[in-house]
Amino acid sequence: MTASTQDAGEPEVDFDVVVVGSGPAGSVAAYRLAQAGLSVVLIERGEAPGSKNLSGGVLYGRVLDEVFPGFADEAPVERRITRHVTTFLTPDSSVGIDYAGRALAEPVNAVTVLRARFDPWLAGKAEEAGVFLMPGVRVDSLLTETGPDGATRVVGVQAGDDQLRARVVVAADGVNSFLARSIGLRRKEPTNHMAVGVKAVVKLPRGVIEDRFGVTGDEGAAHAIVGDCTLGIGGGGFLYTNTESLSLGVVLRLDDLVRSGRTAIEVFEHYSQHPGLAHYLRDGEIVEYGSHLVAEGGLAMVGEVATGGLVVVGEAAGLTINSGLTVRGMDLAIGSAIAASDAVAEAVAAGDVSAAGLAGYRRRLDASFVMQDMRTYAKAPAFLERTGMYGAYGELAASIFEGVFTLDGTPRKHLTKVAWEAFRRSPVRARQLVSDGWAGVKAL
Amino acid sequence: MNVSTQTWIVVADDPAVSGLVTTARGLGGAVSAVVVGRKSVADSVARAGVDEVLWLGEPGDGAPVEAYAGEVARVLAEAGAAPLAVVGATTPAGRALLGAVAARFQVPVLAGLRGATLEGDAVVVERSVLGGIAERRVQVVGGPSVLAVAAGGVTDEGTAAAVREVPAQPLGAARVTDVRVKEQTGVDLGAARAVVAVGRGLKAQADLDLITDLAAAAGAELACSRPLAEGVDWVAKERYIGISGQHIAPELYVAVGISGQLQHMVGVRDAKVVVAINSDKAAPVFAQCDYGIVGDLYEVVPALAAALRAGS
Amino acid sequence: MKIVVAYKWAPNPQDAEVAPDGSVDWSRAKGAVSEYDPVAFEAARQLADATGGEVVGLTVGAASVDSPLARKAALSRGLDRLVVVADDRLADADGTRLAAVLAAAVRSIGDVDLVLAGDSSVDVAEGQVPMTLAGQLGWLGMAAVSGVTPSADGVVVERDLPGGITTLALTGPAVLAVTTDAVVPRVPGMKDILGAAKKPVEVVPLDALEVPDVVAATTLSGSRPETGNRRGVIIDGADASSAAAELVAALRTARAL
Ligand SMILES: Cc1cc2nc3c(=O)[nH]c(=O)nc-3n(C[C@H](O)[C@H](O)[C@H](O)COP(=O)(O)OP(=O)(O)OC[C@H]3O[C@@H](n4cnc5c(N)ncnc54)[C@H](O)[C@@H]3O)c2cc1C
Ligand SMILES: Cc1cc2nc3c(=O)[nH]c(=O)nc-3n(C[C@H](O)[C@H](O)[C@H](O)COP(=O)(O)OP(=O)(O)OC[C@H]3O[C@@H](n4cnc5c(N)ncnc54)[C@H](O)[C@@H]3O)c2cc1C
Ligand SMILES: Nc1ncnc2c1ncn2[C@@H]1O[C@H](COP(=O)(O)O)[C@@H](O)[C@H]1O
Repeated sequence: MTASTQDAGEPEVDFDVVVVGSGPAGSVAAYRLAQAGLSVVLIERGEAPGSKNLSGGVLYGRVLDEVFPGFADEAPVERRITRHVTTFLTPDSSVGIDYAGRALAEPVNAVTVLRARFDPWLAGKAEEAGVFLMPGVRVDSLLTETGPDGATRVVGVQAGDDQLRARVVVAADGVNSFLARSIGLRRKEPTNHMAVGVKAVVKLPRGVIEDRFGVTGDEGAAHAIVGDCTLGIGGGGFLYTNTESLSLGVVLRLDDLVRSGRTAIEVFEHYSQHPGLAHYLRDGEIVEYGSHLVAEGGLAMVGEVATGGLVVVGEAAGLTINSGLTVRGMDLAIGSAIAASDAVAEAVAAGDVSAAGLAGYRRRLDASFVMQDMRTYAKAPAFLERTGMYGAYGELAASIFEGVFTLDGTPRKHLTKVAWEAFRRSPVRARQLVSDGWAGVKAL
Repeated sequence: MNVSTQTWIVVADDPAVSGLVTTARGLGGAVSAVVVGRKSVADSVARAGVDEVLWLGEPGDGAPVEAYAGEVARVLAEAGAAPLAVVGATTPAGRALLGAVAARFQVPVLAGLRGATLEGDAVVVERSVLGGIAERRVQVVGGPSVLAVAAGGVTDEGTAAAVREVPAQPLGAARVTDVRVKEQTGVDLGAARAVVAVGRGLKAQADLDLITDLAAAAGAELACSRPLAEGVDWVAKERYIGISGQHIAPELYVAVGISGQLQHMVGVRDAKVVVAINSDKAAPVFAQCDYGIVGDLYEVVPALAAALRAGS
Repeated sequence: MKIVVAYKWAPNPQDAEVAPDGSVDWSRAKGAVSEYDPVAFEAARQLADATGGEVVGLTVGAASVDSPLARKAALSRGLDRLVVVADDRLADADGTRLAAVLAAAVRSIGDVDLVLAGDSSVDVAEGQVPMTLAGQLGWLGMAAVSGVTPSADGVVVERDLPGGITTLALTGPAVLAVTTDAVVPRVPGMKDILGAAKKPVEVVPLDALEVPDVVAATTLSGSRPETGNRRGVIIDGADASSAAAELVAALRTARAL
């Protein structure tokens, strides 16, 4: 628990590194820093890791496999994605492009995870590696000092009346990154850099999921949905299979949403009652429900990622990609955590944690798949601003595919009629998540 | 263990035993009572429809009722064959007596009772568990069924069973030194046709007037969520609704500024019509009501009181 | 004074899923120190500080009650040390069995003057375990305790009972279940949590305790309660008087008035 690399004459620290936030970015950074022999505390405001995290999604797993070889066999992953389906919806039809193959499963390419299970596992790995896990604590501010060079540097964190001092603070505090903003590394984002995601977990028996999605065993499907699902608001929908549930959601551009005068929940209700999805959702029961912000400014949103005594990782650094069909962030979060932890370990060993000493993080990040992908998709946000994507294109695609595919003939019973009733009956907590999410949106 | 057909009720200085007697009588066999406390209570219980009363004597020297719990268990154990069932109240003192009985016979205490019947020679108990999220039919084999039920009220069947005094030795660990009698509200929320309850949405105690006025307009009794009765003390403890408070089944329940947590709502599960008034449209209470108004109670409540008066 | 605080590591049933056959899936619900038990921690701490005593946390349950997270959550709230009995054979234990194990653990701790407990647990919420524990120990057990303060030869107990606010002088061992308003519990800070990791934890194997046999209830069947399909008509209250009028009309139609 005491600092392992304390030299005479250096300021006393409680830990070599304080990591704030135990999402994928924070837990992986903490794990690797502990592996590198540093003393690390991982602070999480939720009562437990994952408790503040909404459902889950598709994790592109190769990068995590580098950190934990064969993780998919050990971690609580739901299904290995072997089918990627892109579906165009018109008001009364759906057309899908299906890409299936067991090749997608080995080595693990993408898996579905539920964060409430996956995050505690990751944090547990960090804890096993010697990280001091500190849940139930919300970091209020960064401690700063003026260094010998006259530059302000971060020397620790404050929560309530307590302070913890560290050589380096890792801000892994997610999309709102209050910490990065407080030190001026990020500005308040314009709303066209933000999207709001509404997501529900719909419970269904295992066998039913396998039948409806054409998968078996631990295989799963990921559907990206465009067209008439967002009421013309910029964004898209997704539908992923978990072991015994589906993750169903929409991602909506915040500026468009505000302009439309609708609420995200209205759009989600429209989407989840869409006849094109009824076949998959029938008889499902919503067991979890909520909304969350997504950074979707792409490359333009990534600014400075390090300063004296501080590095910013994961979504806190704006590292998410919204391709219009999928949201990716977990793998980028993990990739940035790898780059940051290597750089931090090096800087601490070299005794220079100034902005210059930590500059290795940005270099590593730029060289990694993270920034390569961010650059590749740099145009995505602009592309998404073309609303045609959500209306006309879908209609067009449908007319092309009509007759080619026989559309599912099952009776289109509305899921949500069933689901909302079930929802009203039991999982009361779900509604509270919604209000948490909205508080975030209002804070913008 | 040799189980008889004898059912006991255990009474902690409280003449309100109708709930206990009804449950015990439902099991068919003879019903005896063990009473801790004042002679007047023993006499009252004797008229409540039991066959026999064992009274542990006038409590001396400030011993609290709970100091006799072990003696109650001893009396039952020494009364012959092990009882078929032992029924007590869910009140604080009632739970202490039941705890001693359960420990003496090493059997569970079955609370959340929704029904208990004799099937063959076994007691089958329907109970609600885990804050009311699930129900179970259970049975205890190899010992008495120890049942915790709502105390109910005072009844007088007209005839009195014999009261027999049995000597008992209370634990000497505690002595009552003072009792400050509280203002008795005497309220029976269970009998109210309509109930208006208020929660933490209320900003100040003085604002209670708004709620009492609405209750008056609706011909309803006033109730509250637990935080308003325990902690801030704005409303009497007998008036809070929920798993640890009152369970009621009125025709109309109006929840004002109450978020609708499980522990509260389970208390009104059997209400006929539930109305919610809350400023947060995502409050869980809206998923559990028949009618909800999303709005500020400070505006909605006076308007609702006026609308009720206008129409009547 | 040696004070044991019995606390429960339990999930909130609000987060559980119940199948139509009444079986409960807890996988989405997370364990935590039962919502009101920190009141007992705080009351014990204040009493021990006033009398120069020790506060020992005690919990019994399935293996999961003894995670590093669970230990820190308890120890950061004013305990001196922890005793845990964590065994999956206790996973479905009912209150009387839990009380029997708790009693055996209290005996093995030895020289205990007082056991404090919460008013009721977040999952079971029957307020029965502390009273059955008193029965198992042959001690005085009292619920509805709204205050505990030191006195010359013991403690003064205040209880909020229907008959009135009752004050008692307590001189012998007892199990006291405290109400939520007894004291205001502390919110653990970072230093409390760091300090918690340094405090001793004694893991007592279930087999090392002398626990009497307890008869368990047999479950014959289960169900999920029908919570009456509520109508769920939501009225916008932006215009309070028209919303009120609409509601009154609806209630009249439904004959709820
Ligand atoms: C609707 C939706 C769908 C998505 N789908 C996918 C998908 O399918 N695949 C994918 O890869 N990504 C997806 N994403 C994106 C993904 O969720 C994020 O990119 C990812 O979670 C980022 O990880 P992180 O570790 O940076 O931050 P987070 O996972 O947000 O973790 C931040 C943590 O910090 C904690 N924290 C915050 N502030 C403080 C503080 N002051 N003190 C202490 N703790 C604090 C939080 O409680 C949280 O646990 C989706 C996002 C949304 C909204
Ligand atoms: C073991 C255990 C037993 C419990 N037993 C009980 C019990 O028997 N009974 C009980 O009630 N609780 C009980 N609780 C507590 C319960 O879990 C909740 O904490 C409690 O019911 C919350 O009370 P509330 O709804 O008044 O307060 P809150 O949850 O704080 O809700 C206040 C509501 O008021 C709304 N509001 C705020 N301002 C306004 C306004 N101006 N206009 C309109 N609305 C407004 C808010 O949106 C919010 O929804 C128990 C808890 C435990 C752990
Ligand atoms: N398994 C347990 N271990 C320790 N204490 C417990 C346990 N179960 C219940 N308690 C204590 O008993 C109180 C009442 O619980 P219950 O009887 O379940 O409502 C709790 O608040 C705890 O203080």
